[in-house]
Amino acid sequence: MAVVGIPRALLYHRYGRFWQTYLTELGFDVKVSAKTTKQTLEKGLGKVSSEVCLPIKIVAGHIEELKGDVDYLFLPRLVWLRDQMYACPKMIGIPDLARITVPRSCRVVAPMIKGDFVLPHLRAGMELTNNPVRVWQAWLKSRHLLRTKTTLPDLPAGVRKVALVSHFYNLGDHYVAQDITDTLTRAGLRIYSKEDLPASILAGQEGLAKSIRWVYERELYNAFRFYSDKVDGICAIVSFGCGPDSLVTELMQQEARGLNVPFTQLVIDEHTGKAGIVTRLEAFVELVKKHKAG
Amino acid sequence: MRAAFPYFGTGTVALKAFFEDLGAEVVLPPPPTKRTLEIGVRHSPEQICLPFKVTLGNLIESLELGADTLFMAAGTRKCRFGYYHLVQERVLRDLGRGCKLHGLSQYSAYEAVTRRLPEIFGVSPARAVWALYRLLARSSVIHEMDNMVRRLRPHDLALAESLLRTGLKLIGETRSLREVRCVRRELRASLPRTTRPPRVRIGIVGEVYLMLEPFANAEIEKELGRLGALVVTERSLYRHLRHVLLNSDLTYFQSARYAGRYIGESPGGEVTKTVGEAIRFARDGLDGILHIFPFTCMPENMALEILQKVGEDYQVPVMSLSFDEHTSKTGLITRLEAFVDMVARKKMVGTGKMARAACL
Repeated sequence: MAVVGIPRALLYHRYGRFWQTYLTELGFDVKVSAKTTKQTLEKGLGKVSSEVCLPIKIVAGHIEELKGDVDYLFLPRLVWLRDQMYACPKMIGIPDLARITVPRSCRVVAPMIKGDFVLPHLRAGMELTNNPVRVWQAWLKSRHLLRTKTTLPDLPAGVRKVALVSHFYNLGDHYVAQDITDTLTRAGLRIYSKEDLPASILAGQEGLAKSIRWVYERELYNAFRFYSDKVDGICAIVSFGCGPDSLVTELMQQEARGLNVPFTQLVIDEHTGKAGIVTRLEAFVELVKKHKAG
Repeated sequence: MRAAFPYFGTGTVALKAFFEDLGAEVVLPPPPTKRTLEIGVRHSPEQICLPFKVTLGNLIESLELGADTLFMAAGTRKCRFGYYHLVQERVLRDLGRGCKLHGLSQYSAYEAVTRRLPEIFGVSPARAVWALYRLLARSSVIHEMDNMVRRLRPHDLALAESLLRTGLKLIGETRSLREVRCVRRELRASLPRTTRPPRVRIGIVGEVYLMLEPFANAEIEKELGRLGALVVTERSLYRHLRHVLLNSDLTYFQSARYAGRYIGESPGGEVTKTVGEAIRFARDGLDGILHIFPFTCMPENMALEILQKVGEDYQVPVMSLSFDEHTSKTGLITRLEAFVDMVARKKMVGTGKMARAACL
């Protein structure tokens, strides 16, 4: 049976379960790369320039780990979703990056998502199996995994709450986010992220959201707006060199000043030490506790 | 209306005349200096790229000189550049500078002429067409002159620079298309003939502002000229306008075809051009390719990876240089010297030619 590899990075953290089921139903052996470790990252560092952001280095590491053992590499290329909401340029370029690094024995399957999410996946299924019936059946069996949340998160009173405003591929990555979430949970805080919000809120167009045309940045900004009066502190986690974040976090910072909610920004990259992060978060936790009292 | 816009290399002269043709009084900021950059850096988001910082500094300086309407180029949506005028307007508002900042986006000629330019300047579409035509004429002369100066630089740097200065002054003073044609003829006549081949030929590709604004790229073309290298680039204000307004830049179509082998979908910015031009330079037998872009530039960072592969496939040396406000000229010159020496040695040995033949 042919093996399809999916790197456990970037879009995997949102669509991974769907992809896994869909490809398994198509009759492939799906191989997802192991969780990110220091070794993964180091492999990635050798492959891409030092200037790109952490998530790209991580995905390069995962591709490096997979490329020898798989026949296909499944890397959908997200260009835009819904009315011309673009992904970040680096995300668009990932499949090209993969194509120049993988050996000839491994084919990169990159359905191009421009607005419609479903059709490119069906087409990729056809490319892989050439069997329309099977593709359709696999789609029917896996499509429930694409359903987004429709309920608001539970925000109980009397509990200290913080919102982690960051991309799903940062928060979903064990290696990147574990220390941060651990520190906050240990301090007795309840963590919320944009993944807890229903799509209707994330796609909102109030305030500055309308002028933000990157799909995930708009989600970030909307999550920030939603949480700003409901939690006791907001922590933005930005990877160094992230282009869209450098603009949108700046906007959030400006807005947070007028909102009376503790706001902090953590910039992470491959050199980030655990000790530094924990120190900064502890200071942030103190702020959050004071905010509660006052 | 006292209009101002950030410096844009040699094209500044043509743009100034364009705004004057549309009936605006132009308050040109002083050419960017260290101070410009300092002002820009102070008021910019930390991780934004160099063009943002330089243009912001430029805009603030022009406000100091009494401009009231600012113009800033704007791009398409994938790259951050599309948001620069929005963020800059916000920064200027926070600084308490009352002014209007127009983002001149990449309209088609039709849209610019019928809607945007009449709206902003209160002129008739006919006059907008006339002004645009003159802008194209002037920038095409500048384009030609830039290329002449590039050919001259490795042989006589001082003469090349003085020719450039005189030429820009002449073009700035032209009042009619006839005068523009005269300047073109004069320039062609004044170019000394040289038959001596340059030491090496180096193609420059990359991000357009970095390539065209000498302040932003630490005068890289001049430094290469000093080292005896002939610089070849395909980017200019003229080509850019032809591509954006009229979609008739023929070199772009060729670039897109070449780049298509490496890029499935453009990640935005100028990646298609960067990669396509690099491939063409390699096929044309240039000795080396320099890729310049601002630090943290998103699209060009993707191009960087692809260019490494292009360099491997076509056996041509590629060096990528990123620029930010901390770039030191001395460090840059050292790297350029090393690159030019390496390229010259490779040319001498002749491996370049053999490998190219194998590739084609």
